[in-house]
Amino acid sequence: MGAAADITIDTARAAEGRPLLALEGVSKRFGKLQALSEISLDFKAGEVHCLLGENGAGKSTLCNLIFGSHAPDTGLMRFQGREWSPSGPAEALQSGIAMVHQHFSVVPRMSVVENLMLGQARGRLRHREQAALIRAMTAKFGLDVNPDAIVGELSVGERQRVEIVKCLMREPRLLVLDEPTAVLPPEEIGALLDIVRRVADDGRAVILVTHKLAEIAKVADRVSVLRGGKLVTSLPMQGTQMGDLVRAMVGREVTSLESALASSLAGIARAEKQGDGPHKYALVCDGITVRDAGGAVRLDNFTLEIAPGEVVGLAGVEGNGQTELGRVLAGLSPPTSGRFFIGEAEMTHASAAQITAQGAGIVPEDRHAVACVTGMSLAENIFLNKLGQFTRFGLLNRTALTEAAKGLMQDYDVRAAGPEIAFGSLSGGNQQKAVLGRELTLDPLVFLLAAQPTRGLDIGAVEAVYRQIRLAASRGVGVLLISSELDELIAASDRILVLYRGKVVGEKPARPDQREAIGALMSGHA
Amino acid sequence: MDENLAVFIASTLRLAMPLILAAAGELVSERAGVLNLSLEGMMLTAAFFGALGSWATGSPVLGILCAVLASFVVSVVQAVLSVHWRANQLVVGIGFNILALGATTLLYRIIFGGLSREEIPGLAKLAIPGVSDLPFIGPALLQQSVLVYFGLACVVLIWWMLKSTAFGLSIRAVGDDPRAADKAGIPVARIRFQAVLIAGVMAGLAGSFLSVADINTFTENMTNGAGYLAIAAVIFGGWTVWRTLGACLLFGAATALQFQLPAIGIEMPTALLLMLPYLLALLAVAGVVGRRDPPTALTLPFIRGK
Repeated sequence: MGAAADITIDTARAAEGRPLLALEGVSKRFGKLQALSEISLDFKAGEVHCLLGENGAGKSTLCNLIFGSHAPDTGLMRFQGREWSPSGPAEALQSGIAMVHQHFSVVPRMSVVENLMLGQARGRLRHREQAALIRAMTAKFGLDVNPDAIVGELSVGERQRVEIVKCLMREPRLLVLDEPTAVLPPEEIGALLDIVRRVADDGRAVILVTHKLAEIAKVADRVSVLRGGKLVTSLPMQGTQMGDLVRAMVGREVTSLESALASSLAGIARAEKQGDGPHKYALVCDGITVRDAGGAVRLDNFTLEIAPGEVVGLAGVEGNGQTELGRVLAGLSPPTSGRFFIGEAEMTHASAAQITAQGAGIVPEDRHAVACVTGMSLAENIFLNKLGQFTRFGLLNRTALTEAAKGLMQDYDVRAAGPEIAFGSLSGGNQQKAVLGRELTLDPLVFLLAAQPTRGLDIGAVEAVYRQIRLAASRGVGVLLISSELDELIAASDRILVLYRGKVVGEKPARPDQREAIGALMSGHA
Repeated sequence: MDENLAVFIASTLRLAMPLILAAAGELVSERAGVLNLSLEGMMLTAAFFGALGSWATGSPVLGILCAVLASFVVSVVQAVLSVHWRANQLVVGIGFNILALGATTLLYRIIFGGLSREEIPGLAKLAIPGVSDLPFIGPALLQQSVLVYFGLACVVLIWWMLKSTAFGLSIRAVGDDPRAADKAGIPVARIRFQAVLIAGVMAGLAGSFLSVADINTFTENMTNGAGYLAIAAVIFGGWTVWRTLGACLLFGAATALQFQLPAIGIEMPTALLLMLPYLLALLAVAGVVGRRDPPTALTLPFIRGK
């Protein structure tokens, strides 16, 4: 602390053009994935430098290299003119680089003050002095944080502010924010961007990672676009057109994914909507409301009917109630109020196993945590929900299991060395195809919930996933497709509901010409 | 009656003391995320080496030092295994306990011989002229071994350390959220290592209390589950210092009842009384009474980036 004077000097030097942090040809590889290749970039004090790119473009990896969580394979970094090869986050923090992570690094059971003293204080703790310091700091940057609150009881936005205060208490010269707005409700984003601006104006360098253009327009001094681990462009914000950034980010016109996907799905016949099957509805949600532990409404009076053969897309920025809805429908936590039915049978308080038995396939949002056992084999995972078919007198018939697994791998294009391979060793796309295959082969299958089914998948796998979902619909399965990728929703759904702050704020037909209208609803501008 | 009550209080404190010492150290270790199931083994090792040291040197203080050193060595190995090599803490603990029982029994038979009940030099009882002779309070609280007061001071010190020092804050952080602690620049492995060593030193005091300060002899398997009871007390105490102290005193009181009930003429089956502390511990561990959440990362090894 007390480094304010140094920072002013640095600012003066930076004004003469010397970057605070310079990357020279930095590359990083994880196994087969070239996460970053030959990145050269300068970051200057007093500047908000936005890193823009799609999921998997390498933004987070770049931040982790700067912060010392990973070391680059090749290339050089210079911080304040000296070679920068941190041994770990501890050295980065000591040297004046702080990072606000996507996943917060606050200890929930401790108070704000205690969290802020963590790793900072020596010897005896001085709660009162520290609380006063925090109040001064929060007032300076317009952060609203109560030092005595227990962190676990705070809202997401408040926790993030604690993170930011924590970073600022170390008087960093460089503040890195890794997708800070992804977790925030829209009304808190503006306040965050104001804070970011103030931090830069205070003479520090800020790296802001995002994939939201509106934020960049509001706060950036310079924008660098990453795609597939490569630096596409680095421009001053002034005079830059949004359309240019979008093209740089996706490498094509935005609509092309949607049209490619749409044409590949067009061949699949759409089922007769007035289902002649046994059920009138695949899914009925009647006023489902979910409150979190703190009593805040996360999902408000959600009502929806899905006919057999219909694919309903649920659009919305992540964190607007999708996760809660997914958990309710999967039987992981019951709703606070409201009811839901699968094929006319009420399942509101049913267990996950009962819901599966009723004919609901669930592809959960977090496939690692919920959908599969990564240490078990592919075959075992594929038939986890129907092991009974392969069991006789309590013994597992491995031969039959392996044969069936081979069949499913073929049907759903799961590429792996064999059914006995450990599930965790599969690529994300193949894991997801396997989970999808498992859920789609349920018998009976009335309803499918696919929550963020294409997250982290490459384009080929994305297409395969939606193809299977549409095929299931053509067989009369009703599908609820939850995704934050609007283009994919438009291509794969019949109609789209928009969720904003836990409420359905509108319904639109899934047509490309509705894209802007849906986007507006998603951002709360109805 | 008054006299009986004073004796009851005194024996409660005396019987609770090894639990208090061991549980205070275990509390530190568990708050840092390491479950020291080997507490029992550490105590037993300490009890043996305390007796051996005291017997060989003729000085109970040197005996206690031997005990603490022996337990410390065990805790170093435990820390290396469970913190650095990230071995399963339960397996390591059980392994140590079996090893300690076998090793101390063997060494005892070799050194002291088969069924020896040799008295070893014990620690003096505190005798402050005037104060220790106070009616009721004297016999109840002020005629204990010096180690009792030293141990209680350690408990206060640990409470203060956890609450009011940066080290204590780091311990709580690495036990609740090692990832967050790591990102805050706290050396997770080192803090956990140190916490295990604190548990080792306290278990050393606890073990030596049994052989040097209380009974003045060593017997095979003389801890007889005291280490497990101390772990149960930490759970019962909801991982807070004062509640853990209370749990230890409760277990101590339950043990003291075995001796006191017959003395005041209440007939109870001895087996039931013997069982009482363990029964209480079982209820506590099962969460029937006073359930609290353990440190979030308890028993979970920390690997950066995973």
